[in-house]
Amino acid sequence: MRKKLIAIFAGLISSLILPFLVSSASAEEVRSMKLWAREQAAGPAPHTAALIIAQTLNELGLDITVNAVPWPQMADQVWYKRLDEDTWDLTMWQMVSRPERSDPDEFTYNLFHSSTAEKGYNFIGYVSSAYDELAEKQRVTMDPDARKQIVDQAQQLLADDAANAYLVHPLLNFAYDNTQFKDGSAIEQAGLGIKNIWTYLNIEPINGNNDLVAQSLDEIQAINPFFISGGTDSWITEIVWDRLLRIGPNGTPQPWAAESFNWVNEQTIDVTLRSGMSWHDGQPVTTEDVIFSFEAPMDAEMVPMYSPFVKNIESMEDMGNNVVRFNLKSSNAAFLTSTLAKINLVPKHYYGPIIDSLKGTGNNAETIIEEKRIGSGPFKFVDWRQREQVILEANSGHFNPPKINRWIMKEIPNVEAALGMFRKGEVNFLTDYKGDPAVLANIVEEDGDITLVKSVDVGFQYMAMNHRRAPFDDVNFRRAVSLAIDRDVMVNAAWAGNAVKAGSHISPALSFYHKDGITEFETGIDLAKKILEDAGYTVKNGRLHYPEGVSEKH
Amino acid sequence: MFDFWSIVRRFLYMLFVLWIVATIIFFMFRLMPGSPLTAFIGTTFTDEQHDLLVKRFGLDKSLFEQYTLFIVNTLKGDFGLSFTYNKPVINMIIEALPNSIILTLFSLVIAYIFGVIAGAYLAWKRATFIEGFSIPIVLTTRSAPEFWLGMIALAFFSFQLDIFPSGGTSAAGVIYETTLSKLTSLHFYYHLILPSLVLALYLQGLPLLLMRSNMLEVMQEDFVTMSKMKGLSSWRIVIYHAARNALLPVATAFTLGVGFAFGGNVVIETVFSWPGLGRLLVFAVSSSDYPLAQGAFIFLTAILILMNFLADLLYLFLDPRVSYKTKN
Amino acid sequence: MIAEIYKIFKENNYATIGVCIYLFFILVAIFADLIATNDPLRINFSSSGLSRNLPPSWEYFLGTTSNGRDIFSQLIYGSRNALAVGLSAALAVAILGTIVGLISGFYGGWIDNLIMRLADIALGLPFLPFVIVLAAFLGPSSWNVVIAIGLLLWPNAGRIIRSQVLTLRERGYIESAKVSGCSNFRIIFLHIAPNILPLSFLYGSIAIGWAILTEASVSFLGFGPSDVISWGYMLQDAYSSQALSLGAYIWFIPPGICIVLMVVAGFFISRGYEEILFPKIKK
Repeated sequence: MRKKLIAIFAGLISSLILPFLVSSASAEEVRSMKLWAREQAAGPAPHTAALIIAQTLNELGLDITVNAVPWPQMADQVWYKRLDEDTWDLTMWQMVSRPERSDPDEFTYNLFHSSTAEKGYNFIGYVSSAYDELAEKQRVTMDPDARKQIVDQAQQLLADDAANAYLVHPLLNFAYDNTQFKDGSAIEQAGLGIKNIWTYLNIEPINGNNDLVAQSLDEIQAINPFFISGGTDSWITEIVWDRLLRIGPNGTPQPWAAESFNWVNEQTIDVTLRSGMSWHDGQPVTTEDVIFSFEAPMDAEMVPMYSPFVKNIESMEDMGNNVVRFNLKSSNAAFLTSTLAKINLVPKHYYGPIIDSLKGTGNNAETIIEEKRIGSGPFKFVDWRQREQVILEANSGHFNPPKINRWIMKEIPNVEAALGMFRKGEVNFLTDYKGDPAVLANIVEEDGDITLVKSVDVGFQYMAMNHRRAPFDDVNFRRAVSLAIDRDVMVNAAWAGNAVKAGSHISPALSFYHKDGITEFETGIDLAKKILEDAGYTVKNGRLHYPEGVSEKH
Repeated sequence: MFDFWSIVRRFLYMLFVLWIVATIIFFMFRLMPGSPLTAFIGTTFTDEQHDLLVKRFGLDKSLFEQYTLFIVNTLKGDFGLSFTYNKPVINMIIEALPNSIILTLFSLVIAYIFGVIAGAYLAWKRATFIEGFSIPIVLTTRSAPEFWLGMIALAFFSFQLDIFPSGGTSAAGVIYETTLSKLTSLHFYYHLILPSLVLALYLQGLPLLLMRSNMLEVMQEDFVTMSKMKGLSSWRIVIYHAARNALLPVATAFTLGVGFAFGGNVVIETVFSWPGLGRLLVFAVSSSDYPLAQGAFIFLTAILILMNFLADLLYLFLDPRVSYKTKN
Repeated sequence: MIAEIYKIFKENNYATIGVCIYLFFILVAIFADLIATNDPLRINFSSSGLSRNLPPSWEYFLGTTSNGRDIFSQLIYGSRNALAVGLSAALAVAILGTIVGLISGFYGGWIDNLIMRLADIALGLPFLPFVIVLAAFLGPSSWNVVIAIGLLLWPNAGRIIRSQVLTLRERGYIESAKVSGCSNFRIIFLHIAPNILPLSFLYGSIAIGWAILTEASVSFLGFGPSDVISWGYMLQDAYSSQALSLGAYIWFIPPGICIVLMVVAGFFISRGYEEILFPKIKK
C-alpha cells in the first residue's frame, strides 16, 4: 500500500517537473576536466605546453585544469586506471627516441592496434578495424615500398580520426667541446642526434684529451644485459655488449657482430657471425654464445623484459661455418631491427652458470649484480659509483675500436648543475639536456668553443584523449580539440622554436616512412568553434554543452 | 649515579619507537597514490610481464601479509630488493651512508667551531656596534633557505670564479677503490667543502647563540667581578667558566644536530649532486620504490632516534643534577 | 597582557622590526589584488609570441618567467601563501602544544605518560623526509607542511608548557580553586592557561619561520603544488627554468629575500619575547 502511494506520488511529481528537466537537460554541460601532466622539473617545455593548451581549450567553453603530478601517479591513472569509472580525460604524453624505433612497426602496431587497447600501450582506447588491418599488413609486408604505402595510409587514417593531438617532434640538442674533440667528428644518427654509438666510435679527441665525459640527468639503475631499465642505462649496455646488427646512422639495420645475413625465405634467416671476435675476458665469441644470447630471453620468467623481442623465434640452428639460422614463427618486417639489433650478445661461459644458479630462487636475471660485466662491445666496463659516475674503457681489440680511451658518464640530477659542469669543462659532451634550448644557445655563443648539433627527434610529444569517454568518443570533438591548438604556438612558445610540428607518430627524421604533408593542417580557435557548432555543440553561460540528446553516461 | 637498567629500558623503548615509525611509513607508502609498476610500462610491456612484476614485488599478497613479511625481514636486516634498481636496498644504503655521514659531521664541526668562538667573541663585545651588527646577520643566515644559498654559492664560487667543483664527490674519471680510500683522499674533501660550508652557514646560528648567552650569564656572576678585583686575567676566567657552562647545552645541541641535519640534508644533496641518503629517499619516493624508500626512511629515523638517545645519555654523564632515577 | 606586549616592543628593537616586517607583508597580502599588476598564473602573449624571460619593464616590474608569467605579481601573491602557511602552522603548534601541555601537566598519570610517549614518536620522525613522504601521500598541497608541522613540532612546545603547568599546579591559588569546587576544565582554561599563553605565543612564532622554510624546500624538491604561487614555487620554477644560467637574478633573488625577511622577522619577535620571558621561567 505504502509503496503504491509513493509510486503515484513520484509519478505526479515527475510529470510536473519533467518538462523543466528535459528543457534544461536536453543539452548537457560538458564536465570539468583535468589535463594530466608531469611536474615542471621533469620537462619545462611540455609543462608550458599543457598550461597553454588548457588556457586555449577553455576558450571553447571547456573547464580544464592542469594536474601536474610525478610520473608514478600520472602513469598509474592513465595506464592502470584506464577502465575505471573516474579515469582520465586528457593527458600529456611523450614517446622518446630509441635506436629500434627507427622501424615504424613498434609505434604503428603497439600504440593503436585494438588488441593493445585493454592492457597494452593503446591506453587511449582507439579501436578501428580498418586500422587494425593496416597495422597487421605493414608488419608482414617485406617489400619496403609496398610497406611505405601501408604506413602512409595508417598515418592518414589516424589523422582523420584525430586519434591523438600530436604536438611536436622536439629537436634534440647535443653539444661538445671542440677544443677537446675535433669539430665535426661526431656522427649524426637519424632521429637520435649525435648521442649514439657511431659518435663514440668515431669522435676524435684532440689537444691531449683522452676521455669523453658524458652526462645524464636520470639516475642509472642497472648495467645488466638482461634488464631493460632506465633510458640512460641503455646507452651503456648498448656499447658494452655487441648485437648481431646495429641501426646505422641512416636508421636502417646494418651488419655488426654479424658479418652478413641472408633471408632464406620470409621466415628463415641465416646470420654469419664475424670471425675473430673475443669477449672482454679474452675468450672467443662463438655461435654457441649467440644461440645462448637469444635462448636465455625465451624464458619469460628469467628475462622478462627482453622476452617479447624473441617471441617470434621458433628455433635456432648452428649451421657450421659461423652461421646461425633463425626460424621464425611468422614473417616480420621489423625482425632485423627489433630482434637482431636489440638482443645483447653475452658469453655463455659466464652468464650461463649465473642464470642456472638463479633458477628456482624466485629471483630473475634482472637481479644479477655482477662484479664483472663481460660483453664483446667496443667499450669495457671499469667502474660504477652509484648516483655519481660510470667509467668504461676502450676495447682496443674490437673490430671497430673507438678513438677515445675512456667513456665516462656523470650522473647529475639537475640540468643547471650539468650545464655548469659543461661550461667549466668537467663534462665535455652534453648528452642529456632537457633544459631551455635558448639558454644553451646563449652559452654556445658566449663560449665560442662549443659545437652544438640539433636533430629532429624520432620521438614525439602529444596530448592524448581518452576515446572511451564522452565527449572524446566523438570524432568531431576530438578534431575540434586537436585543431584548437595552434602548432606554431606550441613550437615557438612552449618549445621556444626548438621543435618541429608533428602530425603523425612517424617523425620526419625517418624520411622514408614519414608521410609528406601530414603536418600541414589548419588550426585555430575559430576553426575549432566551427567544428563544434556544426556537430551540434552549443555554448551556454560560457560553458560548452553536448548536442541535444547526447549524454555523458550512455 | 645512574641506573644501568633504566638505560636498557630506554634503549628498548627506542626500538619500540622505531617499530611504530616503520609501521606508519609502511602503510603510508602502500596507501599512496601512484604505482611502482609505472616505471616499467612501455610499448612492448605485456600483461605477462605485469603479472610477473606484481608477484615479484609481492603486491599480490594482502596488505597484512606484506606488512608481516616486511617486519620479519626488517628484523633480519633484510630490507628487500629495490623495485627500480633490482638491488638489495641495504647495499644501496650502505653505499650512500658514508657520504651523508661525512657531509653532516664535517659541516657540523665547522659550524660548531665557528659558532662557539664567534659566540664567545660577541658576548665579549656586548652592546658594541659589532654585536648590534652581527646578531641580525647570524639570524639572517639561519633564515635563508639552504637550497637558495646553495644555488647562489654554486653560481658564484663554482660557475663564476671556478674555485670549487660544482658537485659530486669526485671529478670525472677518478676511481675510489674503497670507501676508506675515498674518505682519506684530499680530492674528496675538495668536493666536500662547498656543500658543507653552505650547510655550516645555516647550522652555526644555534651554537653561536648558545655560547653567547652562556658567556653573558657567566660574566654577570659575582665571582667574575671578584676575580677582576683580585687582578686575575678576567678574560681567562670568563672563558673557563663559560666554556664549562656551555659544554652541556652545546654538546647536546651538537648531538641532536647530527640526527636532525641528517634528514635535512636532502636539499643540499640535491643542489650539489651529492650521492647521499636524502637523495636516495627523494628518488625512491618520487618513483614509488617502496622498499628503497622504507629502507632509507628507517635509517634516517634510526639515526635521529639514536642521536636523541645519546643526547639523553650526555645529560646523564655531564650534568650532575640529572640522574635517570630522579627524572623518571 | 597588552601592557606586557607593549613593554616588549618598547624595550626591544628586534621585536619592533620583526612586527613591522610582518605588518608590511600582511598589508601586501591583503591588498595583493590592488598591488599586483597581472594575474600571476596567466601566460602572457604579445604580438611577437610568448612573453618569455622579459627584462623588467613598466608592464612587468620584475620581468617575466620562462612561461611568460609576471614575476612581480607572483612575488606579491606569494605573500598570501607564506602568511597562510606560516600562521596556520603557528596556530597548529600553539594550539596543539598548549592543549597537550595543559592536559599532560595537569592530569599527570597515564594520560601524561601516553602523551609523552606520543611525543617521543613525533620527535623520532625525521622532519623534512616526513614532509616529503606526506606530500607524496596526500598529494601536492601547501597544507602538507602545516599538517606535518602540527604533527611533529607540538612536542617541543608541549613539553615546556607541561613543565610550566607542573610548577603552576602547586601554587596556592590553584589549590584554593580546587577546594572551592571549580571544575578541572575551569581551572585549566581559566587559571592556568593565561599564565602559559606567552609560551604558546613563543613556540607559535618559531613555527612560522619553520613552516615557510619547509614549504620552500618541499616546493624546491618538486613535491609542492604547481598551481599555487608561493615563494618556494617561484624559486623552484626559476631553478628548473635555469634562471642561474640566464643570469635572471631579478627572478630568483627577490623570492629568496622575501623568505629571509619573513623568517627573520619571526626570529626577531621570538627573541624579543624570549628576553622578557626567560627570566621568569628559568628554574
